[in-house]
Amino acid sequence: MSKEGNAYGNFASGRREFISRTGLALTGLMLSPALLHSCAPAASLAHIKGGMRGADFSLGHLLRQPGKLPAPTRTERAEVLIIGGGITGLSAKRWLQRSGLSDVVLLELENHVGGNAASGQNAVSAYPWGAHYLPIPDVRNRELLAFLQEANVITGYSADGLPIYNEYHLCHDPEERLYINGHWQQGLVPEFGVPDADRQQIARFLALVEELRHAKGTDGLDAFAIPLDRSSADEQFRQLDAITFAEYLGREGFSSPYLRWFLAYSCRDDYGATPEQVSAWAGLHYFAARKGRAHNAEQADVLTWPEGNGYLVEQLRRQTTQGIRPNTLAYQLRETATGVEVLTYDGTTKQTTRFEARKVLLATPHFVTQRLLAGLADAPQLTPAPHHAPWVIANLTVDGLPQGPGQPLCWDNVLYNSQSVGYISATHQQVTQPIGPQVITLYWPLSHPDANAARREAYQTSYNDWLQRVVAELETAHPGITPRIQHAEVWVWGHGMVAPTPGYLWGSNRQAAAQPLRNKLYFAHTDLSGISIFEEAFYQGIRAATEMLLPA
Amino acid sequence: MANQPVLPAPPRRAGPDHLPALLLGSVFVIATCGLIYELIAGTLASYLLGDSVTQFSTIIGAYLFSMGIGSWLSRFLDGQLLKWFIRLEIMVGLVGGISAPLLFVLFEYVSSFRLILYTLVGLTGILVGLEIPLLMRILENRFEFKDLVSRVFTFDYIGALLASLIFPLVLVPQLGLVRTSLFFGALNVAVAAVLLLRFEETRSFRRSFLGVVAASLLFLGAGFVYAERIQVYTETLAFQDQVIYSKSTPYQRIVLTKNSRELRLFLNGNLQFSSSDEYRYHEALVHPAMQALPRARRVLVLGGGDGLAVRELLRYPQLQQIHLVDLDPGMTELFRRNEMLVALNQRALLHPKVQVINGDAYQWVRQDTTRYDLLVVDFPDPSNYSIGKLYSTSFYQELHKLLAPGGLMVVQSTSPYVARRSFWCITHTLQASGFHTIPYHLYVPSFGEWGYVLAGRNGHWRPDAGPLPKGLRYVTPQSIRQMLVFPPDMAELPTDINQLNNQALVRYFEEDWGPYTH
Repeated sequence: MSKEGNAYGNFASGRREFISRTGLALTGLMLSPALLHSCAPAASLAHIKGGMRGADFSLGHLLRQPGKLPAPTRTERAEVLIIGGGITGLSAKRWLQRSGLSDVVLLELENHVGGNAASGQNAVSAYPWGAHYLPIPDVRNRELLAFLQEANVITGYSADGLPIYNEYHLCHDPEERLYINGHWQQGLVPEFGVPDADRQQIARFLALVEELRHAKGTDGLDAFAIPLDRSSADEQFRQLDAITFAEYLGREGFSSPYLRWFLAYSCRDDYGATPEQVSAWAGLHYFAARKGRAHNAEQADVLTWPEGNGYLVEQLRRQTTQGIRPNTLAYQLRETATGVEVLTYDGTTKQTTRFEARKVLLATPHFVTQRLLAGLADAPQLTPAPHHAPWVIANLTVDGLPQGPGQPLCWDNVLYNSQSVGYISATHQQVTQPIGPQVITLYWPLSHPDANAARREAYQTSYNDWLQRVVAELETAHPGITPRIQHAEVWVWGHGMVAPTPGYLWGSNRQAAAQPLRNKLYFAHTDLSGISIFEEAFYQGIRAATEMLLPA
Repeated sequence: MANQPVLPAPPRRAGPDHLPALLLGSVFVIATCGLIYELIAGTLASYLLGDSVTQFSTIIGAYLFSMGIGSWLSRFLDGQLLKWFIRLEIMVGLVGGISAPLLFVLFEYVSSFRLILYTLVGLTGILVGLEIPLLMRILENRFEFKDLVSRVFTFDYIGALLASLIFPLVLVPQLGLVRTSLFFGALNVAVAAVLLLRFEETRSFRRSFLGVVAASLLFLGAGFVYAERIQVYTETLAFQDQVIYSKSTPYQRIVLTKNSRELRLFLNGNLQFSSSDEYRYHEALVHPAMQALPRARRVLVLGGGDGLAVRELLRYPQLQQIHLVDLDPGMTELFRRNEMLVALNQRALLHPKVQVINGDAYQWVRQDTTRYDLLVVDFPDPSNYSIGKLYSTSFYQELHKLLAPGGLMVVQSTSPYVARRSFWCITHTLQASGFHTIPYHLYVPSFGEWGYVLAGRNGHWRPDAGPLPKGLRYVTPQSIRQMLVFPPDMAELPTDINQLNNQALVRYFEEDWGPYTH
């Protein structure tokens, strides 16, 4: 049945309900643990089940002591061996296969492929453990569009050539909200309770990045593009890579604390690092490089799934099922006359295999590549060394999100001036009516200047300590949520993603480090992009695969 | 004297014997209470079962007859009459006091509701019937017979007058039925308490009885407090009419209200229908489409757990299968079990052609592989983002796949007068999803101007395609043609298409209805 009812009776009760709910919310707020903290004992977390999740270090750390591993008992051959099953490795494997090269083996250290786009599933929903969305791409990114069409994310093209996206995969409305000044506002750009002077600065910044989005260099290329290697080499833009984003903002008179928070949030969200740590070029790239167009979506729209980019991982994996070896550590490389010999240790069978491949792609983070090529004189070096911030991600099953006034639950929910970068609702893309518990995924970059110190601290922090921090964070915007949390799991990413520190993108030997060696060793990873996003990983894989396919 | 005098003949204390006055005072109180219970039972029965003349008449008859039984039974009570009387007061207080809350709570189990109602009425009547004869026997040595009869009945009738006046004027409007019932129960128990404390000869059992009295008062008092909370909880205060049923399911809050003229159903505080004019809404929902589908075999109804649209569909004998998908088993169960509601939907949900599925409509249509000749989409208005998804291009494209060639779909589409942009947004969204659309509307007094959109794979629909079933009260070929006319204040205007990634409709709907909430 139907209908909102007649205009007289029912909206009166709607209003009454609104007033009483607001009253309740206010009361709830006043009685919230946050305000009564001093006199009330901390709410018990004993009812919350769960524990730590995360990458399995035991196998990976064997790389530090390869001498302890058994001698090879068998030999295998492959045309191409790919080390690393993140998006880059999968993308490379897919590209080789499409090009008719099927004798490819991919080694993955974990028991599942996907790298940072890991995901999980419980009785309530699938949920991400890392990367969780893809902005609708620039229509010039043909390779990516083709993949999305294969994955049924693009269902066709309109008469004017624009992709038509599967609406189940486009992020449903309402997309984003921000908890600021005790209120949930729509959108992430601070507005609620923001003074006029700050609003003007925010508007000036947004106008600037809008201009930069359309800007082209003297070479006719976009000032800011994805993949970033397609950006203009024009000095007027590239020079922005030499200074920090914070310096740039200071120089340009962007001082509003609201704007500065928003930009800090953006940098931490995309790079795991602060405007003081990343370059101005990178800080602006976040805003100016997104040029997606679609028949049925706006430029700012994103694609997302309950399991986050785990959906895209699965689509890539499906296209390349053959020859994926999980739980396998590559620990020694040696060039031979005909190719490369790689020793690999299978964590399941505890056996070592000698792989003989004509070509090897190292789709590994730079620190792993360095270790694997430790004996090689011309092994690629990155200077400055890539900075990887650790991340903490928590997935929580909650049977409700008590909140004060304002915008209801969105896909992305961010708290102003908080340490986390907010949480997303994993159940947001469900089309069924929301009944029962839901899953939320909280993202927390540990944006410390010293990444190693932050990493050590992150690993040493116990589950209970993380849980307390996560719950305290949520309680600020959702007073009374603690008893409603049924389950919480925490994942620490030691090397979350690369941060584009000043000079890393355009002042370093980044592109040189990606050059193949002697038509035997190839390199691809977002460390070689400097920006860790799906598009870059996807591009890196295709770039390296294309290099491999070139006649020697 | 054959009987042992119950009261010591000469008062020991000096001064006037005030005990008879006390007992006569209690006659007044118990008479008031007695009539109140009767009025509560009558009112509740007419609220819950309808037809107030019959209900009041049979309740009064049963109550008076039970009092007669009580009077007759009084002869079997001997011994310490005062002790009996006090015991009786406590029992009347408890039974009468909890009668209204008990009936409200038990209304859901309606198959045995009349039995429970008349059992309670009978029990109360018997207990009340025992009171006066017993009291007269207690007082028989105090007064001459003519004085006794005169005084007792005077107070009895004055109490009745008071009850009959304060019940409709003060109690129901101020306290509500539940608290009135509990309050008078407590008064009965209070009479027992006063007698216990003021009569010397109760000393032997005073202690234990006072314990019982205290426990009873506490029980009724707790009920009184709790009843108030329930009434707030059941939103009784938010409805102008008497709430006769309310239940929170995991999905929504269902409330039924009743006045002398109509029954109303509210979901989450929003009116779903009034029994006085729902026929207009449901005839208009079903017949313009069905009259054009003489060969229709299968129908899918989405939402509509009240079975009223199904009732209209069942007028077409050619239909072989009706699937109804409603999220809330609480709704469909209520409309399959409750006498009054089953009478309203004419047992539609119990019909062998009808299969009720309790599940999520979106999930269902993505899995269902049946081809339907008619889809009846009768969802709540798009007042939130979750429901808004059920009005999106994505959803309509799923429905498109379920439609047999030549089939039709009808979508309830909120008010084209109040929510003009919402209405046309739904129409345009259907068009964008590949449907030919025929928007129409009519006036439903309890809703105001209301709109629907007929949608088909082709534009072959005609308003006078086939015969209409007999007995319709609103829909005729003429009224269908009228419904197609949109005057300027409801005329089409450009809108966005409602997609999952813009939820344009929910935003229109908020803005359209916004002015009506302030």
